Amino acid sequence: MSWKRTILIGGIQGEGVASTGINLMKALSGIGYYTYGERKFSSRIKGGNTHIMITISDEPVTCVTSNINIIMAFDHETIDENRHLLSEDGLMLADEKLGMEDAAIVSLPLTKLAKEHGSPLMKNTCAIGFLGKMLDIDRGVLEESIKRSYQRKGEKVVNENMLVLHGAYTTQVEKLEGRKGIPVLSQSKQEVMMLMGNDAIALGALMAGCRFVAAYPITPASDIMEIMSRVLPDEEGLMIQAEDEIAAVTMCIGASYAGVRSMTATSGPGLTLMMEGLGLAGMTETPLVVVDAQRSGPSTGMPTRNEQSDLAALYHAGHGEFPMIILSPSTIEECYELTIDAFNLAEEYQCPVILLSDFNLSLSPQTIEAIRYRQPDINRGVIAVEKDLMEDNEDAFERYALTETGISPRVFPGTKGGIHKVTGLEHTVTGRPSDRKGNRAKMMNKRNRKFASLQDQNSLSVEEREGKILCLTFGSNWGVLKTTVKDFGLKVDIAHIARIKPLPVDQLKKLFSRYSKIVIMEQNQRGQLAGIIKQELGFHDKIISLTKYDGEAFRTKDVAAQLERWCNE
Amino acid sequence: MNMKDYSNGVHPTWCPGCGDFSVLRSIQLAAAHLEIPREKMAVVSGIGCSGRISGYMNTYGFHSVHGRSLPVAQSVKLSNKDLTVVAAGGDGDAYAIGMSHTLHAIRRNVNITYLVMNNQVYGLTKGHTSPVSQVGLKTKSAPEGAQDTPVHPGLLALGAGASFYAQGFSAEQEELVELIKAGIDHKGFSLINIFSPCITYNKTNTYDWFRKHLVTCEQAGHDDPENLTSALSVLQETQGLMRGIIFRKTGEPTFEENHHLANNPPMIEVPLEPTAEKFQRWTARFRLDG
Repeated sequence: MSWKRTILIGGIQGEGVASTGINLMKALSGIGYYTYGERKFSSRIKGGNTHIMITISDEPVTCVTSNINIIMAFDHETIDENRHLLSEDGLMLADEKLGMEDAAIVSLPLTKLAKEHGSPLMKNTCAIGFLGKMLDIDRGVLEESIKRSYQRKGEKVVNENMLVLHGAYTTQVEKLEGRKGIPVLSQSKQEVMMLMGNDAIALGALMAGCRFVAAYPITPASDIMEIMSRVLPDEEGLMIQAEDEIAAVTMCIGASYAGVRSMTATSGPGLTLMMEGLGLAGMTETPLVVVDAQRSGPSTGMPTRNEQSDLAALYHAGHGEFPMIILSPSTIEECYELTIDAFNLAEEYQCPVILLSDFNLSLSPQTIEAIRYRQPDINRGVIAVEKDLMEDNEDAFERYALTETGISPRVFPGTKGGIHKVTGLEHTVTGRPSDRKGNRAKMMNKRNRKFASLQDQNSLSVEEREGKILCLTFGSNWGVLKTTVKDFGLKVDIAHIARIKPLPVDQLKKLFSRYSKIVIMEQNQRGQLAGIIKQELGFHDKIISLTKYDGEAFRTKDVAAQLERWCNE
Repeated sequence: MNMKDYSNGVHPTWCPGCGDFSVLRSIQLAAAHLEIPREKMAVVSGIGCSGRISGYMNTYGFHSVHGRSLPVAQSVKLSNKDLTVVAAGGDGDAYAIGMSHTLHAIRRNVNITYLVMNNQVYGLTKGHTSPVSQVGLKTKSAPEGAQDTPVHPGLLALGAGASFYAQGFSAEQEELVELIKAGIDHKGFSLINIFSPCITYNKTNTYDWFRKHLVTCEQAGHDDPENLTSALSVLQETQGLMRGIIFRKTGEPTFEENHHLANNPPMIEVPLEPTAEKFQRWTARFRLDG
């Protein structure tokens, strides 16, 4: 079995706690370790407690462990809130400036050394130094990592940080002497990357040819618009910060209608506003990609806590009935791949596609094997060719032609011979408003039959472990579930679902028939995925829900305890 | 090209005598005068009687959702700068449900034209109060008469930094054609507020009422549309009841210029397939040495 160590670094928000952790993760990843960082912060700019929990291993890590080996505290709260999670041989380290008079806590001169060699804020570097020394990490590795992250701030800052780091490495702390570092790696070093779900989604969108992003800032989706605002101008594209989410989604519809691959990214409160746009895209058969990085709801809820409770609203999204696709990545790699798929599916089926992420998937940095360059398959769907176009250039192109597949050729404004109308009203084949009942039924049926060819595409990933019961999940829970069954040696088969709408009914039926009990694990109160599956498939007597809705991600030991209980029933 | 070339022959749903007929003819005439190829023009509209206008043009047309013509129109233009994009809608679209889009579109200054067909009442819902309904106007939703201070489109637009603001009147079609042409020619966002009487639900602000109350810029003593102070003061003095080009600022940077899009090819022509070199660049920050 692989080994794991978990370090929690916590302090006052706005003082660089997260970046300290990320620097450490990068340095460790650089010398072959795998890391996973779970961030906790509050919905405020400065002040309040924040932490990053980092699990380090010799094998890929997809969630943090339930217990912590080292706590590094810059404030009292970090100790108070987390010491109950400390493992038996765990260690609590705190800045001596805090004056913690507790025998179990080792005080370190973090601020003192930082002040001595540079400035008080360099206590972060100082902490990395002590941690690096304890973990037996070569100082040179940390030096490189720190140099890279501070080089923009100039030579003086870099040099001072180097001195602080050196200070930490050379300061003797009696209580830390003789502690073992992390095991030396045996395997050869793979090329790795460190990114979080939002990074992978942005990268996937760029690779898919997305050139227009309209969005409104919201936690935990904002990184996507931020990345796009940096990258798109160089690609002759545009990230536009809209006045609200309604404008954002509607702008994407306009860009897509005009022929540009576009995307917006939001979270629950924004998604609620975007329902109008989903309906417009559905009715006008305009391709649309919307990322929903879920957080705790309802209303403003807990903006910086994890939840997967948008699903039910999304599954039934909008008034009226229209076809829509919901993709659900469960890993960083899937965030990348499914984003590319989302753009293809949106254009192939001319409908809205939701990419459903969640707080922990979107915001947890992770070491992964490097994503390799591969020219993605770009499928723009059915686009009108010369022979389909109107010779007289009159307004009569059949944009909504009643085809066997339900999918009609698109044409972009500017094309001679393609003039037609688009409207959110029910319409005829040329896009003219019509409320005649014959036409209505034909158009509803046309839109409804678009997914016939999609239904068969595989969207379940199953890992068999000789289990009698199956646990199915989606999103960031997958990383927890996978780790749970492995670390606890559970005989439970596990699966995750990559496409929730249209639900892969036949695949699920086939899979479910093999088990007497099916656990559906999700982070919401009412078991929303379980509800959808029961509604579409039945299996009421087999399905059990494993839910959590306190804002914190599932923890492996809790999941293991519950699954074991159900296995033995 | 003439007006008929821009008509698709669909008979409008409007009441006979509606001011919107003249707005439709004016767009068609303006397009004909400017010789805009039919396929290079897109009319994007909102919801209401006015929203139907995109459906009557022999050009590309997008009839969006209530209040949302501007988000669609702006992104269509930004996606394909070769298109002439005209957004159109009613006073509910522009000054109620889509008010925020109106203000932000003005601020952005994307090179499109927005025609607000303002009849001071909600016609298609069969007679409800509008944000520009005159105080006292009795409607089905305000049986005692509208009480809230009406929105003042001119002051609002100029306050938000409009680079082009004009007002027209359905009964002055020749002038309206010229205003729309000037709006389309203007480099940046042009807002044209058009008094387009509803003959069914607004018995106060009728054609005759406007003929009696509206003054031209000349009559108002406003002879320099580049003069913002004068524009603001005549709008105030006339309570907005004037027509003509009220304010025009040339040389104001457009959104396209500010965002380095002006010299790019139309966005739809940018190749989608990423190269290995681009991939390297985009992933640099995820690499450990990045």
